[in-house]
Amino acid sequence: MFEAPIRQPLILGDKKFADVSNEICSPIENKPTKAWWFGFTLSFVCLMALVITLFWTVWTGIGTWGINKSVMWGWDITNFVFWIGIGHAGTLISAILLLFRQKWRLSINRSAEAMTIFAVMCAAIFPLFHMGRVWVGPYWALPLPNAFGSLWVNFNSPLLWDVFAISTYFSVSLLFWYLGLIPDIATIRDRAKTKARKFWYGIFAMGWNGSARTWHRYEVVSLILAGISTPLVLSVHTIVSMDFATSVIPGWHTTIFPPYFVAGAIFSGFGMVLTLLVIARSTMKLENYITIGHLEAMTKIVMLTGSMVGLAYITEFFIAWYSGVEYEQYAFLNRATGPYWWAYATMMFCNLVAPQVFWFKWCRTTPWFIFFMSIIVNIGMWFERFVIIVTSLHRDYLPSSWVMYGPTWVEVGMFVGTMGLFFTFFFLFSKFLPVINMAEVKVILKSKE
Amino acid sequence: MLRKNLIIGVYKEPDKLIDGVIKLRKQGIEVFDCFTPFPVHNLDREMGIKRTRLTVGAFICGSLGFLSGLVLQFGMMVFDWPMNIGGKPDSYLMLPSMVPVTFELTILFTAFGMGILFFYKSRMLHGVREDILDIRQTDDTLLLTVEADKLNGNKQDVLEILKNTGAIDIRDHIRQH
Repeated sequence: MFEAPIRQPLILGDKKFADVSNEICSPIENKPTKAWWFGFTLSFVCLMALVITLFWTVWTGIGTWGINKSVMWGWDITNFVFWIGIGHAGTLISAILLLFRQKWRLSINRSAEAMTIFAVMCAAIFPLFHMGRVWVGPYWALPLPNAFGSLWVNFNSPLLWDVFAISTYFSVSLLFWYLGLIPDIATIRDRAKTKARKFWYGIFAMGWNGSARTWHRYEVVSLILAGISTPLVLSVHTIVSMDFATSVIPGWHTTIFPPYFVAGAIFSGFGMVLTLLVIARSTMKLENYITIGHLEAMTKIVMLTGSMVGLAYITEFFIAWYSGVEYEQYAFLNRATGPYWWAYATMMFCNLVAPQVFWFKWCRTTPWFIFFMSIIVNIGMWFERFVIIVTSLHRDYLPSSWVMYGPTWVEVGMFVGTMGLFFTFFFLFSKFLPVINMAEVKVILKSKE
Repeated sequence: MLRKNLIIGVYKEPDKLIDGVIKLRKQGIEVFDCFTPFPVHNLDREMGIKRTRLTVGAFICGSLGFLSGLVLQFGMMVFDWPMNIGGKPDSYLMLPSMVPVTFELTILFTAFGMGILFFYKSRMLHGVREDILDIRQTDDTLLLTVEADKLNGNKQDVLEILKNTGAIDIRDHIRQH
């Protein structure tokens, strides 16, 4: 195959196959560093905040949250949509970029998929506990026969579609991730020097031996899984957006929501991937695998999807005016100039204006700046969901029921706690599993970008 | 695999391994299997592996998911206990509302059906003892194996081809019980 001479190699440092195994396995086979312990402890402390706040919520009730009438969805659903969105980058990288044959995905797909799984776990906590009596949750949310005879769940409700979408998304992502891990787990098994490691990795390697026949099936399965994960990931956020779009609340009742949410999800997901990988590549010494070229490619996606989201904000505004519906017009005017204007301004700045810096090469290739920008993106996308949810709800059709909303310590604690959950799992992942797909990276050692 | 008598060619380069496979098959010698730490492009084709029918299995599982999605929703919402919530339809007219759940179940059944078929066909299960010929075959070493018992006295040819195509080592694996 012809490769243009100006293209950079995907993996730097002129690695041999054995170098890849040695370098990627070293965090697993050696004692964790001080930085790892520091990060893990900090995350674990935050995770405890989740335990405490969830306990308090269940013990006392949803009244411990700041939500009220008419703001019945507050930080909880904001956080839910925020985390689900973050998950989307993992599937995008591993599935959509596989279909497009983008080889640069191979050194980042493993950690992005792990991120997907942890993010979906964080997301699921919020609607589950928002139901109040979480212990009867399955009884309400799943189509189970129940005590009232055969009174089933309501399949006309987008909230139920969400139950199916999120659980399918989680389980299919987990399968995809695990399937990709098997050859690497087998590598660790065969390198293992301790009995415990040989045993545990042996169990999860499922007897993998790298036979060409298995690889043949494996590649077919990966391709089909990628093929079905692509519409899946688009459907998940589409359905999340329908939680809003099928209602008759001004500000929510818009047909642009599905594509706009999907673009936003990819945008925020890449923001979080960048946050994690910029740190991981320097602390775990992976600069040769996750190169500046990788970061640059991701920043381009951030800029593209950020602009798409920005376009959606403006289109929404225009359509609100063009619709001639005064409630719709007021909802948008209130969003931008009402008491929550600061949230709207933050959203606009972080999602539409700030990512435009990536037109400049320096901004796309300077890791510390990319890290800084990724935090901006995370903040911006959290505010987007806050703006959509709270500003649409806080002013009802009836001015006498207009209220303001602010979170209580329980809601803040829950959000910090899910951050803790997410990072605790990520640190454990980076200690016990290879953060880079060794088998696939070995294929592209000599490839150019 | 360990129960067969094998001749093993040990390679370090995927290109050379493929070269070995091509030359062996030109001589009419079938390759038993290759073991590689990573997927080698075109190796399956050169070895003459038939394309897997897992895709057919995936389609059947997907169709099953599609049907079960429709049966589930029609059964519950239309036949068993129609519910009028907010005036939304509870007859066949609610078909558009059934799209998301049907779609998700199609995906779910396809993915897991195919995953299970893959593990079944590859005889993979948690706790299965691996039968590996070389501890580095999942690391940086590629193995080409030929069944010694099926050779009609042309073992010398095999050794010659393996050597000439750049195998760094050639071993005999004696059947184990």
